Amino acid sequence: MHKQKAMFFFLLQTEYGDIFKVTLDHDNDHVTELKIKYFDTIPVTASMCVLKSGHLFAASEFGNHALYQFQGIGDDADVESSSATLMETEEGFQPVFFQPRRLKNLLRIDQVESLMPIMDMKVINLFEEETPQIFTLCGRGPRSSLRILRPGLAISEMAVSELPGVPSAVWTVKKNVNDEFDAYIVVSFSNATLVLSIGETVEEVSDSGFLDTTPSLAVSLIGDDSLMQVHPNGIRHIREDGRINEWRTPGKRTIAKVGSNRLQVVIALSGGEIVYFEVDATGQLIEVDKHEMSGDVACLDIAPVPEGRQRSRFLAVGSYDNTIRILSLDPEDGMQILSVQSVSSAPESLLFLEVLASVGGEDGADHPASLFLNAGLQNGVLFRTVVDMVTGQLSDSRSRFLGLRAPKLFSIVVRGKSAMLCLSSRPWLGYIHQGHFLLTPLSYETLEYAASFASDQCAEGVVAVAGDALRVFTIERLGETFNETVIPLRYTPRKFVLQPKRKLLVIIESDQGAFTAEEREAAKKECFEAAGISENENGNVEPMENGGDEDKDDPLSDEHYGYPKAESDKWVSCIRVLDPKTASTTCLLELQENEAAFSICTVNFHDKEYGTLLAVGTAKGLQFWPKRSVAAGFIHIYRFIEDGRSLELLHKTQVEGVPTALCQFQGRLLAGIGNVLRLYDLGKRRLLRKCENKLFPSSIVSIHTYRDRIYVGDIQESFHYCKYRRDENQLYIFADDSVPRWLTASYHIDFDTMAGADKFGNIYFVRLPQDVSDEIEEDPTGGKIKWEQGKLNGAPNKVDEIVQFHIGDVITCLQKASLIPGGGECLLYGTVMGSLGALLAFTSRDDVDFFSHLEMYMRQEHPPLCGRDHMAYRSAYFPVKDVIDGDLCEQFPTLPLDLQRKIADELDRTPGEILKKLEEVRNKII
Amino acid sequence: MSVFGGDSWAREAQQRKRRVEDLALEALDDASSYKKLLSGKYVCLLCPHSPILDSPLMLSMHSKGSRHRAAESKLKERELARQHEINKRIALSDSSVGTANHNSYHQKFRSVGKPLIELSQKATSEILCNQTPQQSSNNRNHDVQLILDRITSGNSNPSQNSFCPAIEAADKLVAQQQHLDLHERREMELKFTAAGWKRDCHGKWFRDENVEFDSDEEDPNVCLG
Repeated sequence: MHKQKAMFFFLLQTEYGDIFKVTLDHDNDHVTELKIKYFDTIPVTASMCVLKSGHLFAASEFGNHALYQFQGIGDDADVESSSATLMETEEGFQPVFFQPRRLKNLLRIDQVESLMPIMDMKVINLFEEETPQIFTLCGRGPRSSLRILRPGLAISEMAVSELPGVPSAVWTVKKNVNDEFDAYIVVSFSNATLVLSIGETVEEVSDSGFLDTTPSLAVSLIGDDSLMQVHPNGIRHIREDGRINEWRTPGKRTIAKVGSNRLQVVIALSGGEIVYFEVDATGQLIEVDKHEMSGDVACLDIAPVPEGRQRSRFLAVGSYDNTIRILSLDPEDGMQILSVQSVSSAPESLLFLEVLASVGGEDGADHPASLFLNAGLQNGVLFRTVVDMVTGQLSDSRSRFLGLRAPKLFSIVVRGKSAMLCLSSRPWLGYIHQGHFLLTPLSYETLEYAASFASDQCAEGVVAVAGDALRVFTIERLGETFNETVIPLRYTPRKFVLQPKRKLLVIIESDQGAFTAEEREAAKKECFEAAGISENENGNVEPMENGGDEDKDDPLSDEHYGYPKAESDKWVSCIRVLDPKTASTTCLLELQENEAAFSICTVNFHDKEYGTLLAVGTAKGLQFWPKRSVAAGFIHIYRFIEDGRSLELLHKTQVEGVPTALCQFQGRLLAGIGNVLRLYDLGKRRLLRKCENKLFPSSIVSIHTYRDRIYVGDIQESFHYCKYRRDENQLYIFADDSVPRWLTASYHIDFDTMAGADKFGNIYFVRLPQDVSDEIEEDPTGGKIKWEQGKLNGAPNKVDEIVQFHIGDVITCLQKASLIPGGGECLLYGTVMGSLGALLAFTSRDDVDFFSHLEMYMRQEHPPLCGRDHMAYRSAYFPVKDVIDGDLCEQFPTLPLDLQRKIADELDRTPGEILKKLEEVRNKII
Repeated sequence: MSVFGGDSWAREAQQRKRRVEDLALEALDDASSYKKLLSGKYVCLLCPHSPILDSPLMLSMHSKGSRHRAAESKLKERELARQHEINKRIALSDSSVGTANHNSYHQKFRSVGKPLIELSQKATSEILCNQTPQQSSNNRNHDVQLILDRITSGNSNPSQNSFCPAIEAADKLVAQQQHLDLHERREMELKFTAAGWKRDCHGKWFRDENVEFDSDEEDPNVCLG
């Protein structure tokens, strides 16, 4: 509902996505007429909200959420129906017809990416990158897609231009300290310097005053309005009026390293001498002090000038003897060493990063001002330590491995705050987001050198050099953990498998109550012809996929307007082979005759000649209402042809139910068909039933195998551990769970342990007790005798629940994976609401103690807004067991400072240590 | 065919039982230790109280028992003592002839020297040269020649030289082969059971009704028969 002073109206949306505007005519309390008018069509929403600013936020039922701007409020002539003109005949009310059309009253201006619902997920490093990619099947019907998630921030490239040589460094400078935008981009080559001026276009200039016959070591704005170029033989100071002062190095010594801020410059000469300059009141650069270091200087940096001060007090110097020293720049101290920190490897680059104080800022974070010293070490580690603003003492150091190259550090501006860009084998961005310091990789190639860049086209960009090209890019969607690549699909994706040889994905998609793509296209064409709208001019080569580019000339894209609906007993389905590298579909088989695919797996039958085959379980004419019924179930066996890019049907075998789970086992195919677990072998014309067990309670939804054990997940009764005996050709259950769990996802953790999730939003782990497991493995009958004595339809052994946690969202997929190179594995889950989460196993008792106490204090001190009890929520169905809520612990930095200190005191630590611990754990996952 | 084998099963089973009984009887050391009575029962003749046993199986079990063993060894001891006594008496009655005889016999053996080595050498040459055994007394030179031959030809044919280990190795190989065969056979059998074949009480293979088979599937009765 939207209300203004003079008028009000309601917006209603139907299940097809059409929005109607409803207005009431009234005399005070008496409604005289109700009018309903077609407004626009947007994807089906769960909720809509009209903002005062003239925007409409549409929280989509499935898929990305969108923000629309009102172009009009539906005052134009349109199909309208009114309670006054409604005709009632014998057949009821006369319907009013309307034609959906393109958006007229709304304009989409932004969208929030959403994975909702995640149907299946796999973490694989298909692209052979540093970190694995997460492949998720998302969405539903017309909005379904395969999304490839990479940890890191997305960037958008603004420009790439070739340079005449291979550049070594790049800087940007403003002409005046008050300028909003940069004036020059200065690029240094091995023997020359190129100056580009930024205007409407970027072009080379020669009147800037910079020396262009020598390489540069640093270029920056000095004082209020003069420029400085440091080259190996001296410092060139260019005043605003064009006067040039030159300082030359004594003797034959050259300048090796430079560090500067707006008012101070420090250079290191070869041999280890440090010379310190300051800008005086007249804007002149004056040599102030000298200091002899014991050896060559590896890198230096000066802290930024604090607000309202004349100079910064700290100079950091990195030496090749694996130390970093903090020198005082106070005139009375005379460059004395304040502190020394030894590091694991020689530092390559240093950067002071100042964090301004924030109290209840817009990001809701409270933290005091602090100064961090970052060092990129030669072994690829980023070393980060806190500098005491008064004494210059270093404390609270943390390190993180970034990549195989020594990180080079650059200061850039992100959202108006200073941030750090680290260039290792891939670029990383360190920035503060909602009170957390986040260090996130960027999804971009290896860069050599970078500088921040501001122009009127791009306010907060980065200019970088890599190879022989100059690149300008901006960093997008800060605060997000993943960036995604979207590949649209035809129907709701159900499951997918990896074709291991060619690294292709095989996806099964199916939809109930929909038309096949051909029927749909034909109907659409007919409809358009009837309506007289000319189809796209590009010869009707429309791909039968949804989505794609939203801005294309498609009059009514399926992604927005949805598919036409068919009878509910009509199924459409397809099997797709997709090459994720090129995002192209190499083969798409549409299933015929009302068949829909439900399960998929690859299988290698032993001593059969075909190699890897694809098994797909389908059902024909499946109905859920009024009663669940199925005309027939089939298991299709496909052969990969054309190097795995295409599929050929070998044969299909009719089965009596829906094959909801398939899995390879000892060179054969295990199928879960209703409550029957069956072992199939490949025959010439069909699959041959070899062995079965009909003792499962309701319906098998998942099968995992390991060695001779089979872990079967039942739709209502959790896991059943089975064994297959070759010598008796028998499948038997030797252990099951005592809790009836409605299983939605499962994953095999180890020989005795399974992880599962139920439809009430719980995640849990069950484990077969060690002694029982040993007994079964040692027993020559494999516990079979005991099984025969099973009581009350249960198995003789029961598994123990070892972990239990209420997520509050239905988990659809689980996988054990490591998202960082060389990191430990964690269990990742994806949910119906589109969230990805991770469970990390603690490795030490201390951590467990620390985090359980932190969680306890957070529960007490930081109750949720709506007043629900945290413990009760996390134990909604079963008492929470051995899981600590990391999300709650992560809220620690958002607490008021005094509360943070109070909790830290209780834990016998400082708030900084707690933050460090939180960061450490976070870094173990991603 | 049904699981339980059809009509011929009972009689054959009976015959099999009888055969087992025969074998149990055969396994007993000597026929003099028991006697079959007219009633078809057996009586043990060794034990002092002559127990009567119902079946050959029970008899064989009895003969493994400790009491029977004790009785048996006692009997044997007595027998030995008696034999000893007889020998002593015979020796006393005709001492002169007996001793001379003995001596000559011993001497004869001594003159032959090392009979085992000789014999094995003979056998060696026999096998090596693949010819009829030469009588060593015939021609010593020939024998030497043969040995020399063997030495000179030894290099050219190592298998001849080391024939003894070769035989051993061959023996081992045979044993291994048997073992492998057994293992392979076991593996094959497992493969067939896993494929859904079952065995009836004759050891014949038949198809499980609940399992499906390809039209050209191997028949274990042929394969393993």
